[in-house]
Amino acid sequence: MPDWIKSYVRWVEAINYRVGRFTMYLLFVIMGVMLWSMASKVTHLPANWTLETAQFLFVAYYLLGAPYSMQLDTNVRMDLLYGRLNQRTQVMWDILTIFFLIFYIGVMLYGAIDSTVYSFSIGERNPTAWRPPLWPVKLVTCIAFSLLLLQAVAHFFRDVATLRKVSI
Amino acid sequence: MSYDLIAGLMFSSLMLMMLTGQRVFGAIGFVAVVAALWLWGTGGSDLGYSAVMKLMKWNALLTLPMFIFMGYVMSESRLASDLFKMFHVWFGPLPGGLAIGTILLMVLISAMNGLSVAGMAIGSTIALPQLDKHKYDRRMISGVIQAGSSLGILIPPSVVLVLYAMIARQPVGHLWLAGILPGLLMAVIFIIYIAVRCRLNPDLGPPITKEESEQISWAEKISLLRAGLLPVFIFAVILVPFIMGWASLTEASVIGALATVLVAVAKGRFTWRVFEESTRQTLAITCMFMLIILAALSFGAVFDGLGAGKVIEGVFVGELHLEPWQILVLMQLSFLVMGMFLDDTAMLVIVAPLYVTLVDQLGYSLIWYGVLYTITCQIAYLTPPFGYNLFLMRAMAPKDYTLPMIYRSVVPFVLMMLVTLIIVMVFPQLALWLPGLVYS
Repeated sequence: MPDWIKSYVRWVEAINYRVGRFTMYLLFVIMGVMLWSMASKVTHLPANWTLETAQFLFVAYYLLGAPYSMQLDTNVRMDLLYGRLNQRTQVMWDILTIFFLIFYIGVMLYGAIDSTVYSFSIGERNPTAWRPPLWPVKLVTCIAFSLLLLQAVAHFFRDVATLRKVSI
Repeated sequence: MSYDLIAGLMFSSLMLMMLTGQRVFGAIGFVAVVAALWLWGTGGSDLGYSAVMKLMKWNALLTLPMFIFMGYVMSESRLASDLFKMFHVWFGPLPGGLAIGTILLMVLISAMNGLSVAGMAIGSTIALPQLDKHKYDRRMISGVIQAGSSLGILIPPSVVLVLYAMIARQPVGHLWLAGILPGLLMAVIFIIYIAVRCRLNPDLGPPITKEESEQISWAEKISLLRAGLLPVFIFAVILVPFIMGWASLTEASVIGALATVLVAVAKGRFTWRVFEESTRQTLAITCMFMLIILAALSFGAVFDGLGAGKVIEGVFVGELHLEPWQILVLMQLSFLVMGMFLDDTAMLVIVAPLYVTLVDQLGYSLIWYGVLYTITCQIAYLTPPFGYNLFLMRAMAPKDYTLPMIYRSVVPFVLMMLVTLIIVMVFPQLALWLPGLVYS
C-alpha cells in the first residue's frame, strides 16, 4: 500500500479520536446548561437561551462523536447473513457496501454545506425569543459530516489493507 | 410508476440493504437519499440534511444520553449489586427464586432507567454469574435477563414512550403513567411462569442450600432491605418534579443522572474508571441511536411525501372493509413482523406516523395505543434476526451462551409478552386508569 494511504488513515483516525474524546465531555456541559435552566426558574427569571443552547450542544455531541463511535464499532448491523460469513468474506463485503455509507454521508455533507451557505447569506435566525443565528451550529454539522466521510474512507482503506495482509 | 409501487420498492430495497450487513444507519440513509434524488432530482438533495434540523427541535431526545449515562454509572459502579444481593437472600431459598429475584431487580432498574440497555448490562454482569454459579438452567437465565430488561421501556421513565409522545403529539406524563400497570402485569406473568416451571422441574432453578442461607444472620437480612431505598429515591427524583410540573422532562432526566452519580460517590464507587467508561459508552450508544433516527427520519419524510399513509389507510379501510378492531389487530401484527427485521426506533419513525393518524381516526385512545406499541417494541427486542437484546446478550454473556440457545431461550417470554399485549388490548383500562386518576 502506498505510504500516503497509510498516513491518511493514521491522521484521520488520530484526529477523529481526539475530536471524539473531547466531544464525549460535552454531555456534562449539556447537564450544566439544564441545571442553570432549573436554577433560573427558581429565581423567577427563566433564562431564554438554555433550551436552544442545549439543542445546539446535543447536535454537536452526537455528530462530532459519530466518527469516534465508528472507531469503537458500536453501530449495529443486521447480522442475519453477515454474521455467518467468515471474517475474510465479511471484510470483502464491507469493502463493497461501505460505498453505500459513503454515498449517504456525501449527500448529507452536500446538504449541510448548502444549508450553511444559505443560512449565512441571509443571516438566518431561530424564530424564538432568543433569536440565535443558525449558521454556527450548521457549520459544526459541516465539519462533523466531513470528518465522518473521512472516517468512512479510512475504514475502506483499512479493510483493503486487512485483505492484502498489510498492517497500517 | 404509481406511488404505492414506489413505496413498496423503497421498503423492499430497505430490507435488502439491511441484509448486506452494512451499518443499519447507512442502509436506511442510503435508500432514503437515493429515493429522494430519484423522485425529486436535485431538489431532493437537501432532504437528508433537513432531518438534522428537524431532530434538533425534538427536545425530549436530550433525555437519551442522560438515561444511557445513568444506566452505565449504575452498572459500572455496581450499585445494583446490593439490590441483587437483597433478592438473592430473600428469594434464593425458593425454587427458581434467583430468577424471580432477577425479574424483580429488572423492575426496579426499569423504574430508574428508560432503556433496555441498562438492564441488559446489569443483568449480565451481576445476575448472570450468580445464576450460573447456582446451576440454573442456561436457557432460563438467558430468557429471564433478556425479557426482564425489556421492561425498561414500558415502566416509566421510558425513552421509547418519549419518542412515541413526540410522534403522536401526546403528553409524556400520561404515557409514562399508562405504562406502569401493564409493565407490572407483565412482570407478574413472568414470575408466575418461573415459579410454576421451577416447581415442576427443580433442575431449572435449584433453591440455594440451607447452609448458604443460614450463613446470613437475620440482622443482615433486614439491613440488606435498605438497598431497596435506592430505586425508590431515583424514581422519586425523576418522576415527582416532572409530574408536578417543577422541571421539564429533560431537566428531570438530568436530575436522575446526577442523583445516580451522587449515590455512587457517597458509596465510594465513583472511580475514574467508572467515569471514563460511562462517558465513553454514553457517547457511543447515543451516536448509534441518533444516527439511526436521523436516517429513519429522512426515509419517513420520503415515505410521507409519497402519501404512504393514504395507501395504508386505503387498504385497511377501503379495500378490506374491516372493523376498527380488526384494523388494530392487523396493525399490531404488521408491527410484530416488521419488528423482527427492523430496528425499533427506525420502525417508530418510519411507520408510526402513518399508523397514529389512522388509530386516531378510528377513535381509539393514542395513550393506550402507545402502550400497545411499546409492548410490540419489547417483543421486537427479542425476536430474531434483528433484536437488540439478542445482540447484547451474545456480546455480554460468556462464550458458551450460543446464538441458537439464546434464540430458543426467548420463546416462552415472547409468548407471555403476546399474552400481555392481548390483555391490554382487551382491557384498555389497565393502561388508562392510572393517568386518568393522577391527571383528573
